[in-house]
Amino acid sequence: MSSEPIERRVSYLGDRLLGNRCLICGKEYFEIRDYCGKCGRKSYGKMAKTDLFYEKGTLEVCTLINEPTNKFTKLGSYIYGVVSFHDGRIRVPGRITDRMPNCNENVDFSSLEGRSVVPRFRRRYSVEKSDVVPTISLAFTFADEYYPYQERRTAKSRKEYSFPGIVGYGVYSSRFRIKEENIVRSVPFIDEDSVTAAVEAGKLALIHSGIDSSLVGKIYVGSESNPYAVKPIASKVAQVLRLGEEDEDVQGVDAVDTEFACKAASSMFKDAAALVNYPKSDVKYAMVTGSDNSQAAPRDCPGGELDLFVGYGAASFIFGKCDLIAELEGWYSCTSDTPDFWRRDGEPYPSHGGRFTGDPAYFKHVRKSSKKLMDKLNLKVGDVTYFVAHQPNIQFPIRIAKELGFKEEQYLPMLQVAKFGNTYSGASLVGLAAVLDIAKPNDRIVIASYGSGAGSDAYSFVATDQILEKRKNQALTVKYQAENPFLEYVDYTTYRRLKTGM
Amino acid sequence: MQNRAAVVAAGRTKFGEHYEKEPEKLIEEAWLKAAQEANVERKDLEACYLSDYFLPITNKLGLEEGFLSELTELHAPMEVTRSFSSALTNACNAIQAGRYNIVLVGGIEKMTDRWDKIRDDLMLLEDPWSYYAGCTPEANHELLLRAYIKKYKLNGQDLEKLGIALAQIAVKNHLHGSKNEYAQYQRKITIDQVMKARKDAHKQLGLYDFAPISDGAATLIITSEEEANKYTNKPVYVLGSSSATDYLTYPAREDMTHFLVSQNSIKNALKISGRSLSDIQLLELYDQSTMMEMVSLEDLGFCQPGTAWRTVYENCEDYKGYYEIGDQKLYVNTSGGLKADGNPLGATGGAQVFEIVKQLRGEAADHQIKSDQRLRYGCVLELEGFGTKGYAHILGRDEE
Repeated sequence: MSSEPIERRVSYLGDRLLGNRCLICGKEYFEIRDYCGKCGRKSYGKMAKTDLFYEKGTLEVCTLINEPTNKFTKLGSYIYGVVSFHDGRIRVPGRITDRMPNCNENVDFSSLEGRSVVPRFRRRYSVEKSDVVPTISLAFTFADEYYPYQERRTAKSRKEYSFPGIVGYGVYSSRFRIKEENIVRSVPFIDEDSVTAAVEAGKLALIHSGIDSSLVGKIYVGSESNPYAVKPIASKVAQVLRLGEEDEDVQGVDAVDTEFACKAASSMFKDAAALVNYPKSDVKYAMVTGSDNSQAAPRDCPGGELDLFVGYGAASFIFGKCDLIAELEGWYSCTSDTPDFWRRDGEPYPSHGGRFTGDPAYFKHVRKSSKKLMDKLNLKVGDVTYFVAHQPNIQFPIRIAKELGFKEEQYLPMLQVAKFGNTYSGASLVGLAAVLDIAKPNDRIVIASYGSGAGSDAYSFVATDQILEKRKNQALTVKYQAENPFLEYVDYTTYRRLKTGM
Repeated sequence: MQNRAAVVAAGRTKFGEHYEKEPEKLIEEAWLKAAQEANVERKDLEACYLSDYFLPITNKLGLEEGFLSELTELHAPMEVTRSFSSALTNACNAIQAGRYNIVLVGGIEKMTDRWDKIRDDLMLLEDPWSYYAGCTPEANHELLLRAYIKKYKLNGQDLEKLGIALAQIAVKNHLHGSKNEYAQYQRKITIDQVMKARKDAHKQLGLYDFAPISDGAATLIITSEEEANKYTNKPVYVLGSSSATDYLTYPAREDMTHFLVSQNSIKNALKISGRSLSDIQLLELYDQSTMMEMVSLEDLGFCQPGTAWRTVYENCEDYKGYYEIGDQKLYVNTSGGLKADGNPLGATGGAQVFEIVKQLRGEAADHQIKSDQRLRYGCVLELEGFGTKGYAHILGRDEE
């Protein structure tokens, strides 16, 4: 897309489904306008912004599109229709995503019309490789399927803690899976990528935490599959989720992408914690997101071994000092220059050092960070309720957990790689979320991430009493997403097509 | 009405694919036919109003006036609009105001050159938000049908009849088109063909429910009432023209089952002309789809909301060439409509007016209506986008 201002205007309104409501007569409009058509000039300055991104709509009427326009051809066929919000007071066009209707299928439209739908943040359509990637939320999924509608309630913080920790979190993975032997892996739908996953995870984290998004002062997004070599994912997340104080169309938030293979996000936990703890920072909350559409060369190409393990997903954690679900006790990070896995600039797929990825790389660093942290905090294996490790495959995290002396009940809950695949920057974070989903107050969690290149960050968290009350804001738990009845399994060819995206 | 604008001549090309002809050549052809008919020289023209919907996109022609000036060595004032109806309305206004006495109104479009990208262009221009959400030019018509079915709670036999009525509209238009020497499709089709196309598409509307993309041009020579007799003894007067505008975003409109622009423009056009609906004998509707034609019968007021399908169904079971609504005989889309005659956007309205003019003058050759009453009044409805703009024109001849 060459005309960037047009692209920005469309994204600005379309990503969040921004509209207006006349405060005099209540008439609502999609898009922003200065006046109400009914009330005229007296409504100037009396138009309130409406944000439909967190709302539930109704699919009013629909049809099947089996011959899309050129830019949509990669989507194949899809259901398209009109979605209404607020009892029909506002209507928008919308595409139903996460479904692959057969173009030779007779769809019973009346069985779909009238059902509740949730707006989803997706890629808009295909563009050239050098173009800006257009996005939109005029894409919807049914609220009674994979992605349930969750009301977003924001509340004033009630309790302040002495030390910082996790305020809320969200994990997002797609509806699609590929199952091969003993491993199931998540596959992005064709209009998804690491940007859309980061937004979804952040959205779920905001819903879970119940905080006001304008109080988030910093967002870090770690990824190794950003569709751009230059242009942050974090800016998109900040804009769509309206992080920080909003002034016109600029968000009062610091947004930055980080890179360190699979520990790009976990590395920032301590930075986020330190930032919210620094009294003069004026940052009440900081968001850390790890998101990847994990890349791998096709199976028959060099480096194609990774294609057996890569997944898709994102996890987002919000740090702060109020209403914590887990306090951060301490951390230890270590680094050495170990090129076990890398991707040169301009290369589409990563390369790896084969047998060296295990011992001189993964095990050495995870062992070091975990041991040092436990020594530092004077923790014995028995003091830890759950151990979480980075999980590039099934064997590595089990082997290191056993070597450190952990028992099955301590490490099995974190093992998610067989359900989602290796979600790279999100891998250890998804493990942490899975454990937080079930943790009881005072449970201690030790997490050790790993990033090739190489380094590891170990953290120790202790769950608070508030973890239980916030759990009701978490419909999309890790378990829910892993065992969902609406999962759709695809074959290898479809998996490669979906993963490559639009 | 004082100083009525008079159509003294009309010309057009055949609609369809004109691979070998440049756009300006098409308009030249249409102009020469009209000029010959009225014996008008190009130096007589005081101004030109041209319409094309998107030549700058399809044919990379920006300053259309310049191409025409170069071709015809004409240096008179020229204005370019998007639709033929808009050009016609502007021309009539200028004539009535006494500004000009004789003007050329022309419309041109060449769409088939860009057949592979045309649906993206059409959709993006007609309703960008729907386009961004994945809409196609056909989908809005399908949603209109879905919304109609829902609003009027049609099911069972009624729903089946609605489907047949829409197919009958396509069959009727092809029947009319088969006798129109200028039509893009001059062949008859059957209900079975329409139904099979829908079945193949797995949708409620199929290939035969939609107008094609076309190349073509149409022109009218318009004069003041005073001057008209210099050029013809059978002037057709533009008795009333009106237009209306609605939201670009179709789903955001208050009523998704009807076109506000049609309702408003017909009301005003009738008021200006001093005629009533019951005077109308000929009607050229803008049938981008069979559904759009059916709904337009309701929007213009010929049928009650929610009933046009029944009127069509009852009249088409044994089609006599017209609809009988009460005691009114209504000839609808005798040209073949957009469906069979073709739909080169900027020229489409020209062909619609051309048809009414020819019929009223008794010059419609093979498809001249044989009515027991003298034909005096016709009406044209042209839409832009998916009902974002609407134009209604009441055309008529004086008593003999």
